[in-house]
Amino acid sequence: MKKLTGLTVPLFSVLIALFFGGIMIAIQGINPFLAYEVLFTKAFGSVDGIASTLAKATPLILSGLAVAICLRAGLFNIGAQGQLISGALASAWAGYYFVGLPSLVHIPLALLFGATFGALVALIAGALKAYRGVHEVITTIMLNSMVIAMADYLASTPFKEPDQPLTRTPAIQESARIPDLLGLPFGFFIAVAFSIALWWLLKNTTTGFRIETIGKNRHAGWYAGISVKRVIILSMLVGGGVAGTAGAIETLSITGRFEPAFNAGLGFDGITVALLGRANPIGVIPAAILIGGMRAAGSTVQFRTGVSPEIVDLLLALILFFVTAPILARLLKSRHDGVSVTSGWSN
Amino acid sequence: MLKRLAAIVAALSLSLFGLVACSSDSSTSEADCGSEGAFCIGLVTDTGKVDDKSFNQSAWEGAQEGAEAVGGFAKYIETLDPKDYATNIGQFADAGYNVIIGVGFLMAEAMATAAATYPDIKFIGVDQFQGTAVPNLTGLVFPEDKAGFLAGYLAGNITTSGKTGAVLGTDVVPPVRYFGEGFRNGVAYAAKELGKNYPETKLVYHAPDNAFNDPAWGGATAKQMLSQGYDVIFGAGGNTGNGALLQIAKTPGAYCIGVDTDQWGTVPEAQPCLVTSAMKLIDKGVAALIAQAKDGSIAGGNYFGEVGLAPYHDFESKISMEIQDKVTALVPQVLDGTVPTGVKL
Repeated sequence: MKKLTGLTVPLFSVLIALFFGGIMIAIQGINPFLAYEVLFTKAFGSVDGIASTLAKATPLILSGLAVAICLRAGLFNIGAQGQLISGALASAWAGYYFVGLPSLVHIPLALLFGATFGALVALIAGALKAYRGVHEVITTIMLNSMVIAMADYLASTPFKEPDQPLTRTPAIQESARIPDLLGLPFGFFIAVAFSIALWWLLKNTTTGFRIETIGKNRHAGWYAGISVKRVIILSMLVGGGVAGTAGAIETLSITGRFEPAFNAGLGFDGITVALLGRANPIGVIPAAILIGGMRAAGSTVQFRTGVSPEIVDLLLALILFFVTAPILARLLKSRHDGVSVTSGWSN
Repeated sequence: MLKRLAAIVAALSLSLFGLVACSSDSSTSEADCGSEGAFCIGLVTDTGKVDDKSFNQSAWEGAQEGAEAVGGFAKYIETLDPKDYATNIGQFADAGYNVIIGVGFLMAEAMATAAATYPDIKFIGVDQFQGTAVPNLTGLVFPEDKAGFLAGYLAGNITTSGKTGAVLGTDVVPPVRYFGEGFRNGVAYAAKELGKNYPETKLVYHAPDNAFNDPAWGGATAKQMLSQGYDVIFGAGGNTGNGALLQIAKTPGAYCIGVDTDQWGTVPEAQPCLVTSAMKLIDKGVAALIAQAKDGSIAGGNYFGEVGLAPYHDFESKISMEIQDKVTALVPQVLDGTVPTGVKL
């Protein structure tokens, strides 16, 4: 049998997930083939459908990258959710606070706010890991809760839109709104540009080489004279910045303001995206488009067939399960190629 | 190996096909929607489910009831992501539905936008107060303060410790605050009548995020109140409030009061403590508005639905006749405004 490519495990994971999901749909008394037909024609079968798929995929590409780049350095960044929320709130603030700027200044400025605050949140976890050896899984999970609570407070008190009861910031200025390009969300192109840039960084630069080396074997990297601390902090900063940008693009192109419930789950879906994309900055693009498409079409599936929209969460959970479980890779006789999920608790 | 796996997958797929061959096609009954003479009703939930034993469920029951009464067809979409309200409303609008119901305060903005986009469709916003009247958007709202006040009056009469409290969803959603403050004022009204000096009713609100779907927090808050001697607790806030009810049901001697629907039926686990529920008759209101939409008499602005207390069920024998009579006598006075609730709306 010829050597398996990096595509095999993700592809089989998706197929097997669809198969088990199909059984669950059939148990509800609904034809799974019809449900899947509706799902995929809605997501990919029309210009409108593709536009909404790409809009949903945009934050997932970036949150996927945020997880993927850290995985490359041997770090498991569970904190994309908190970094993303921090970026969403910061960009919403910059979006409504500055008045009278031209779009060409306002949009990049608001994006920069998002990226910076995302990176700052990740920096806390990175610094704790680099200087005190605190495991990043623990700190990023805890930071998620802290950021969510703080964002709730900020959006309900100092940054709250006055004279209305909801917890939300005022709407961003028109000058901060990211326009569509050729009927497609412009944010999508930004996300793809980030993917290519990070892929290039890993492949062609010394920094990328350092990240990869530390990710593969921290001790060997250290012995070779690479500053492990610097690589850890740098990858967390980049990951957090990318996640913050995801939140910023979501705020500036989709939601138009910050509201706590708006960004639910985007960062966590990023974990599935990164693993499905084999932690490859280019690989996260198709992974995010697949998951974004499923998210975009979920309600149509319920409308047309009656299957609960949670079927999408179920499919994602199954995909995540099969893509991480070494069972499938072993069954497919592949060596454990690509990246391993954790660097272990001892590092 | 790969081949074998593919064969297994193929074989299983075939068996799956056999499995579904006998299942019914669910998309036939609605084929008429959008054509002349058909009357179709679509319901979009907020981020809850249609079987949430509360708000979305009552609205969906009303939609089905209303559809049956006018010979129409009703269908729902459950929203997972609040960014999708517009998309989900659009599903129904594009399919030519005549009435679209949106459940919950949080989707008021999406409903207003949709009403402007689709002027020929009638929109019913459950719990969506309309500040300015739009001809094709009707807010089904309730005087929650009155329902809360009545519940509080009963609570004030049956408490032995004099300590009453409420576990609530977030106070940024006005109806929740009306329930809570109405309850507090109802207790105070009863205390004054009894000539007693109870400590002020404790109102505990959840943080805005996930306010209606945090039963663990609801349970923990109720537990804390119980340990401090609170003996009548009002749970109002979807699953969060239900969590409180379930916790109180485990404590002998404590009373709980449910919200929105008669929770005796919707949360049977709470029966050991559930004396009554402060009800908004959402199902009745939705059904009435659907009938109005069908005959063309529906008007924009706000439509006030009915509120009331649910039956006492098993507690009928435990609550003294005197108290029951007092409550029965107070109900019409509160509903018609003779006894003001004192809640700032």
